[in-house]
Amino acid sequence: MDEQRQEDWLDRQLREAVSYIDDEGFTAQVLKRLPARRPGRRPLRAVILLGVTVLASAIAYFISGGGRFVILNVERLAMLPVLWLFAIALGSGLLVTTLGLFAAISKTSDLQS
Amino acid sequence: MELTDADLVARVLVDDDQHAFGELVRRHQSSVRGLLRQLARSDFALADDLAQETFLRAYKNVRSFRGEARFSTWLYRIAYNCFREHARRRKELVGIDEEQLQSEHDPQVADPGLRYDLMHALSLLPLPERTAILLCCQNGLSHDEAARVLEIPLGTVKTNVLRGREKLKKMLTAWGPD
Repeated sequence: MDEQRQEDWLDRQLREAVSYIDDEGFTAQVLKRLPARRPGRRPLRAVILLGVTVLASAIAYFISGGGRFVILNVERLAMLPVLWLFAIALGSGLLVTTLGLFAAISKTSDLQS
Repeated sequence: MELTDADLVARVLVDDDQHAFGELVRRHQSSVRGLLRQLARSDFALADDLAQETFLRAYKNVRSFRGEARFSTWLYRIAYNCFREHARRRKELVGIDEEQLQSEHDPQVADPGLRYDLMHALSLLPLPERTAILLCCQNGLSHDEAARVLEIPLGTVKTNVLRGREKLKKMLTAWGPD
């Protein structure tokens, strides 16, 4: 029992002996000594993303027989009643706006934190 | 919403985001500097130099952090390696510079009393026991995490903690619970 009490006491003292050390410019000094940022990574990423998008579009165009499905669906849309067209346009607009809002809110909270 | 260490590490990896790394430094500087101050027996200047070296190495080698352990555990490992390399260079792994300890001790533990005696007793422990005690009992690492930091077998960590505690208890008998 005494042994356990002594152990607990020692553990408590060891934990309490740790005090927070104020930054006092330490982080700034570390950041100053960091090597320069690796250049050219963002442009490379953009080029890769753009390239992959163009490639995927080209593949989709050829596989779909020169994009005939687009023409067919536009024709189908054109034959819909005006009210239906309005509902589809409104629904699509709302969906895109909601997704955009979510993205903006999540980005803002990331930046604020 | 506060970003986790893993989120910040991801930003450093993907975007080379130095602000994200700065946040990681801010979060962990106190514990890393605290550990090094005690390993360096209260030589604050040396401890802070080693802490800077620790964070610079962490930045350069962030790709090798696989997220299997906590980021702080990974940092402790780098800090301990920095200290060990320095000690090897200066051959300070043995012996106690009592004068230096007297002149450069932490003002917060300078008051005569339990805290000072505890720090003094810690500094008298051999390095393996001192390090094991600091990591497990002060910084809250599990024995397993400490074994990974120190790159020694789990059993050795447990033995070092046990021996260190026994010695501390003996040295602090006068302060013990009534």
